[in-house]
Amino acid sequence: MKQAMSTTLALPPVLDITAAGPLASEFLRARGKDVSIDASKVERVGAQCIQVLLSAVATWTLDGMEFDLANPSAALVEGLDIAGLEPANFIARNA
Amino acid sequence: MDTMAAIKQTFFQECEEQLAELETGLLAIESEEHDTDTINAVFRAVHSIKGGAGAFGLEELVRFAHTFETTLDLVRSGQIQPDAGLLKLMLRSSDILADLVRFSRDGGEMDESRVSQIHEELTRAAQPGGTPAASAAPAAAPSFTPPAAFDAGSDDDDFVPITINFDDILGGGEPAVEEQVFVVSFRPKPELYAKANDAIKLLREIRALGDADVACDISEVPLLTELDPEGAYLSWTIRLGSDVTEAQVREVFEFVEFDCDVSVTAEPKVDPNFEFVPAPVAETREPVPALADDGPLIPESVLAKIAQVNAEPAKASPAAAANQAQPAQQAQTTIRVDLDRVDRLIDLVGELVINQSMLSQRVTEAGIARLSEVAVGLDDLEQLTREIQDSVMAIRAQPVRPIFQRMSRVVREVADMVGKSVRLVTEGENCEVDKTVIERLADPLTHMIRNAVDHGLEKPEDRIKAGKPEQGVVRMTAAHRSGRVIIEVSDDGAGINRARVKEIAIKRGVIEPGVPLSDSEIDDLIFAPGFSTASTVSDVSGRGVGMDVVKRSIQALGGRISISSKPGQGTTFTLSLPLTLAVLDGMVVTVAGQTLVVPLTAIVETLQPKGPEVHGLGERAKVIAIRGSFIPLIDVGYKLGYRYEEADPLNSVAIMVESENRAQSALMVDGIIGQQQVVIKSLETNYGQVFGVAAATILGDGRVAVILDVDAIVAGNRS
Repeated sequence: MKQAMSTTLALPPVLDITAAGPLASEFLRARGKDVSIDASKVERVGAQCIQVLLSAVATWTLDGMEFDLANPSAALVEGLDIAGLEPANFIARNA
Repeated sequence: MDTMAAIKQTFFQECEEQLAELETGLLAIESEEHDTDTINAVFRAVHSIKGGAGAFGLEELVRFAHTFETTLDLVRSGQIQPDAGLLKLMLRSSDILADLVRFSRDGGEMDESRVSQIHEELTRAAQPGGTPAASAAPAAAPSFTPPAAFDAGSDDDDFVPITINFDDILGGGEPAVEEQVFVVSFRPKPELYAKANDAIKLLREIRALGDADVACDISEVPLLTELDPEGAYLSWTIRLGSDVTEAQVREVFEFVEFDCDVSVTAEPKVDPNFEFVPAPVAETREPVPALADDGPLIPESVLAKIAQVNAEPAKASPAAAANQAQPAQQAQTTIRVDLDRVDRLIDLVGELVINQSMLSQRVTEAGIARLSEVAVGLDDLEQLTREIQDSVMAIRAQPVRPIFQRMSRVVREVADMVGKSVRLVTEGENCEVDKTVIERLADPLTHMIRNAVDHGLEKPEDRIKAGKPEQGVVRMTAAHRSGRVIIEVSDDGAGINRARVKEIAIKRGVIEPGVPLSDSEIDDLIFAPGFSTASTVSDVSGRGVGMDVVKRSIQALGGRISISSKPGQGTTFTLSLPLTLAVLDGMVVTVAGQTLVVPLTAIVETLQPKGPEVHGLGERAKVIAIRGSFIPLIDVGYKLGYRYEEADPLNSVAIMVESENRAQSALMVDGIIGQQQVVIKSLETNYGQVFGVAAATILGDGRVAVILDVDAIVAGNRS
């Protein structure tokens, strides 16, 4: 049952200001399911997409669902590091 | 259009606003009606243009704006005084800046020599003011190399006057070579992102300066349902250990200064040789440990936030939402709307007006009493429709200010070219007119202003001889008068030399010798095609375009132009223009059973031809004799193909119209129904161009009526 409720979202390579709106809508659509984020393709990340991701983590935590950031690309890790964050900030485990 | 292009377009729109602000400010400074806010606004306008241009990699624009800004900054800080010479230079610089913006947007080649000349003058202007503070920074402006896209990290020391306020602590402005710890607090506003900047890029630049410890505050990030994806929720505190100066740290934020809250404080360096300084150190150091503690705390604060959200989800989120919503609401006092959408709305309201008048005609036809509830309700509807129409028209209405401002540039340029000293006085800049009218006014007004400066005003020596001040005055005013806008352009020059005008008109065959003409008739001659009073073809006005072209373009807008002149006191041109091009005052007439509309602006008078007045001319043509002159009679019904035989003039009404080149003709119609305001519907958009028809409208009874193109009918008759 739990399996069926889980979904995987792949992040696009470019997470700039133009990607923030679509990303937020995509998360809203996936709400209520456990999600695993495939972050392996990310080449560039901007602060607004980081905001969206943080907001999603908070929302999933509130919902008591799982949120996982899988395979973060080197570029994403570097971008997060510059912003003073790390991939661990983007994981919500409520199992 | 992709998003980046859209953002760039917004940048150029904003540039136009900043340029207008810049010019308004400079003119206010010139007329000595300014305070420190004005100078700040001027500085900020240039700074914003530079910032945006930097983000889009518009190097030339950044370079020029930078030098301009440097000079302005010296004015702002009181290091140089804005005297007349400097103001003139700054106004010319604003013209160059406007050109650079335009070329960056539309492409094309900028006159390099002009830019570099003004650039040099600006640099020179900034130098004499290079008193202590600026001399610490050697003249770096000319060598300023703009960053490729966004890279404010160039060492661009002439910004020291704005940013430095830490010299004392650093010890007499000596750059700190020793390592120093800065605490940078950085909170972006949504505008920062909207201008295509990114906090990550800025943080990356800060990191490049030295050893940085970045702490991100995520406590403001709301839940997804309340998140504006393009909002700004994150803020950062950075502890930066570096050997750079505080100015260099601030420089990272130079382009986004107004789009974020930034503070940079240097932790005082404790000198190893220094023994003990109790109070100040304790005081300044106090906040630092707290901030240092904040860094590692971040993951906990995330948990705290989540715990809080979990504990009281219902309460916490609306409050957060309210906090977020409020500042956004305050900031949005205007919105940008695509012009097409406004036009569509205007179109629909036009339909509504037509529909409403059809409905009320049906009600009348149905014999419903005037005082019945239906009729009363319909009256209310009419009132409402009118209000809606007025409000919608007001959306398109814009103040004439931008065009007036453009004219001040024309005055400057022409005055420089012809060696006259001219002051432009404007009044009523806030007067609002339809956007299309404003756009189409630019060319005729430019020409009139050029004429006023070049021909209207006397040469300086002649003015002195005539006992006038050396500086000439050109006055431009706008005002609303009975549903139209009146624009006047006047000069305090010598007035029209009527003897000379008459002589030229005879020489060029515009009038016959010996015709008695009143003063105003002579003045009107300058609107005749091909007439030009300039005895030499100057670089300024002698471009083959005369006042006749001005008159024609004003008439094409549904306007009229008139002239009045007093010898020795000057000349005034008066333009009377409709407030909008969406509705038109027309005379509704009937021709061969058809209802037509003749634009009221073209009509001079109407009359009933009498037998002896009508004469045949050649095979078909007829003329009518009025007050001693023969005027061609044109049967509109025959001309437009409504009937195959020409009507009897004695059973018709003659409408005297004036077309381009002031020629009068009489249009023959069957009868006049009355005057009415009609909503213009383009025929070209909906069907195609038809000879003799300017547009169409829908009348109260639901029938389509064409609006006559008087000029075309008259011209068609002649050929």
